[in-house]
Amino acid sequence: MLKKKICMVGQFGVGKTSLVRRFVDSIFDERYLTTIGVKIDRKDVSVDGKSLTLMLWDLAGEDDLAQLNVSHLRGASGYILVADGCRASTLEKAAELQQRITQTLGPIPFVLVVNKADLRDQWEVQSSQVAQYGWPTFETSAKAGSGVEEMFLGLAAILIRSHAASEAPGQ
Amino acid sequence: MSPSAHLDLLAALGYAVFEQSTDGSFHSLGDAPEWLPAGSLMEAFPFLEVFLPDAEAFWADPARDHSTLPSDFWTQTDARGNNLHFCAIAVAGEQKLLLIERTRLRFEQTQAFVQYAHQTKLAHDEIARLGRELQRATEAKSEFLARMSHEIRTPMNALLGVAELLSETPLNAEQGEYVRIFRRAGDNLLNVINDILDFSKIEAGQVELEYIAFDLADVVQEAIEIIGVRARAKGLCLNSDIRPEVPPRLMGDPGRLRQILLNLLSNAVKFTDRGGITVRVKPDADQPAPCTLHFTVRDTGVGIPFDRVSTIFDSFTQADASTTRKYGGTGLGLAISKRFVELMGGRIWAESTPGDGSTIHFTARFSVAETTTALEARAPKATAPAALANRALRILLADDSEDNRFLVRGYLRDTGCVIDEVTNGAEVVEKFKGGAYDMVLMDAEMPVMDGYSATRAMRALESERTGPPTPILALTAHALKEARDRSIEAGCTDHLTKPITKTALLEAVHRYAPEHPNAGRIHVAVESWLKPVIPAYLEKRRGDVAKLRFALDQGDYATIRTLGHQMAGSGAGYGFAEITEIGGTLEESALAGDAARIRDGVDALDRYLNNIVTE
Ligand SMILES: Nc1nc2c(ncn2[C@@H]2O[C@H](COP(=O)(O)OP(=O)(O)OP(=O)(O)O)[C@@H](O)[C@H]2O)c(=O)[nH]1
Ligand SMILES: [Mg+2]
Repeated sequence: MLKKKICMVGQFGVGKTSLVRRFVDSIFDERYLTTIGVKIDRKDVSVDGKSLTLMLWDLAGEDDLAQLNVSHLRGASGYILVADGCRASTLEKAAELQQRITQTLGPIPFVLVVNKADLRDQWEVQSSQVAQYGWPTFETSAKAGSGVEEMFLGLAAILIRSHAASEAPGQ
Repeated sequence: MSPSAHLDLLAALGYAVFEQSTDGSFHSLGDAPEWLPAGSLMEAFPFLEVFLPDAEAFWADPARDHSTLPSDFWTQTDARGNNLHFCAIAVAGEQKLLLIERTRLRFEQTQAFVQYAHQTKLAHDEIARLGRELQRATEAKSEFLARMSHEIRTPMNALLGVAELLSETPLNAEQGEYVRIFRRAGDNLLNVINDILDFSKIEAGQVELEYIAFDLADVVQEAIEIIGVRARAKGLCLNSDIRPEVPPRLMGDPGRLRQILLNLLSNAVKFTDRGGITVRVKPDADQPAPCTLHFTVRDTGVGIPFDRVSTIFDSFTQADASTTRKYGGTGLGLAISKRFVELMGGRIWAESTPGDGSTIHFTARFSVAETTTALEARAPKATAPAALANRALRILLADDSEDNRFLVRGYLRDTGCVIDEVTNGAEVVEKFKGGAYDMVLMDAEMPVMDGYSATRAMRALESERTGPPTPILALTAHALKEARDRSIEAGCTDHLTKPITKTALLEAVHRYAPEHPNAGRIHVAVESWLKPVIPAYLEKRRGDVAKLRFALDQGDYATIRTLGHQMAGSGAGYGFAEITEIGGTLEESALAGDAARIRDGVDALDRYLNNIVTE
């Protein structure tokens, strides 16, 4: 079966681990347990009638002391840039990570995710700020579950299409 | 130690040990620990995909012999759903060894450390975010209040103004009473609005105290006079007693002090039906500072129930909600007084025996005023507004509201002022260019060009001519301090808040009316290339006036002759034929020793210099 590596990247505490847990185990935990190193999960999905295994690499969030280890993205087919709608600085951090990753690995598919949509009345991130990047964007709530499945499957669909395009003869 | 002894030791420490073969695959050395999943190493540990390239580079580097390269931690979930934490170590030597460790303690220690750092940072961010939210909410609130007060004050201006005008027309007794009720209700409503506005400003931290010199006795007296009308109507007597140890001249905020006293006095009058009210001021016995004063307002009224004494200064509580209904008011007066007192570095408290009256105490810090300050020199002229009569000022009135223009016209009707009216900022500037006005009354919000821009344009025009600046009084419905700052910044001389009463308008017009109104202004066109030197020339001549008067007193005709001669020679050259003529007269009269004619000449020169406007 087709296997695709997808990395979760973003500032610490934005909800990377929670998004994966919601998607893989359908649970949410209010408690914050920061990720150290990498947490790897797998999930079989089917998109456009094709089955594939997603290897979800949940990378430790960046903070002032530790930078993302870009080598963890080696072999990734795509990645998910996560920001927390309640903290505007996490969106800037996401944009900065996107640049760094592109510099090292070249252009690979990704989506931008603004998480914690259940706290929208506390959001500091404006949709115009998000729109300025022109990236495929999802608003999610790992807590309520909204947008999570669409987001993962959305990226999976992008991966399948680009996979198909790269395999198609004469392209 | 033999190689197998090494392996035993590593196994005992919990490591799974692998060796890389020449074909690049890995085979296990020694016994596999029970936690090691079956199957291929890469299948079992996907993390190795990213670590092995680093390990390969490490093994390939001869300089790394006998050293180790640890990987990051990784976590994966076992079949039972437990999270297991691992880390790999590449060992360089004759063999390419890969150790895999299932860790718990080291992982948890690292996690505890990072967790603490992250949670601290998140808490800080959250506090900062709440701060920003609060700030935004406060701004929105004061913005809303400013707008509301504008919306309410504008029509109030018209209502109260018309009522004032109406009260000056011939009315029968019944009509007079109706108008009085109308005005009283309007005044009350305005007080309520002002209270709420004041209170919100304090809440938003927008109140700044003034620091100017004032006479304490004046402030106390004014408060007593204002409240006196109501006290007398109820048959109460109102007294004040300022102890001789209290310094008479203080520095502080007389306006706010007056407001506190007014609040306390009007409350006292409200709740007292017999007897009287006394204001006392003495140095605060508890404070070594000479200028911390202790004020008391004592009444012989109904008193405050014992259980309410401590809460009467809280917002929105009057001793009893029913008293609000009975006596009116927002119940904010005391809360406002409390905040003002606190801003003045003092405190406020109440003592009361129900049925036997109450005493409100408050303390406030001031400093002793030096002798006459510059501020006093600028204090408004103390003459009554009536003195305006027959001054025949030329006033330019700019307001887009017909109601407001009607009011101002009505207020100024008996003063003999001539009023030109325009309805927007552009027209005001146009008119100002052409005519000589003694004063401009400028509505701040007008279509086409607002009052602020118009004022700036007019000040720019003035900077090109000589003569004193024209007083421009801004009229706005905004009561907040920012509105005032904005007017002053635009170049307005002062700022009047609508609704404007007749008294306030007349007082302001009188205060800022020029000594020498434009009605007698002499306009002189001067050549443009001379413009830069004209101000200095005229200034010199103004100096001459003083010298001439002194010389005349001394009988020093020689000096008068010289000065007259100089003026006769220079005046016309600068475009002031009148100066040449007066100079000639002075020279002649000095030769003839004609003191009376000299005096006339000097007066004529003085008048001429004061009224001259160059263009
Ligand atoms: N209200 C709300 N809280 C969320 C949501 N997603 C995550 N959280 C909470 O946010 C905190 C951080 O979530 P994590 O998923 O651990 O964040 P992370 O990005 O993995 O953080 P690191 O591992 O430290 O980089 C936790 O307390 C979660 O419960 C969401 O959608 N809504
Ligand atoms: Mg995490």
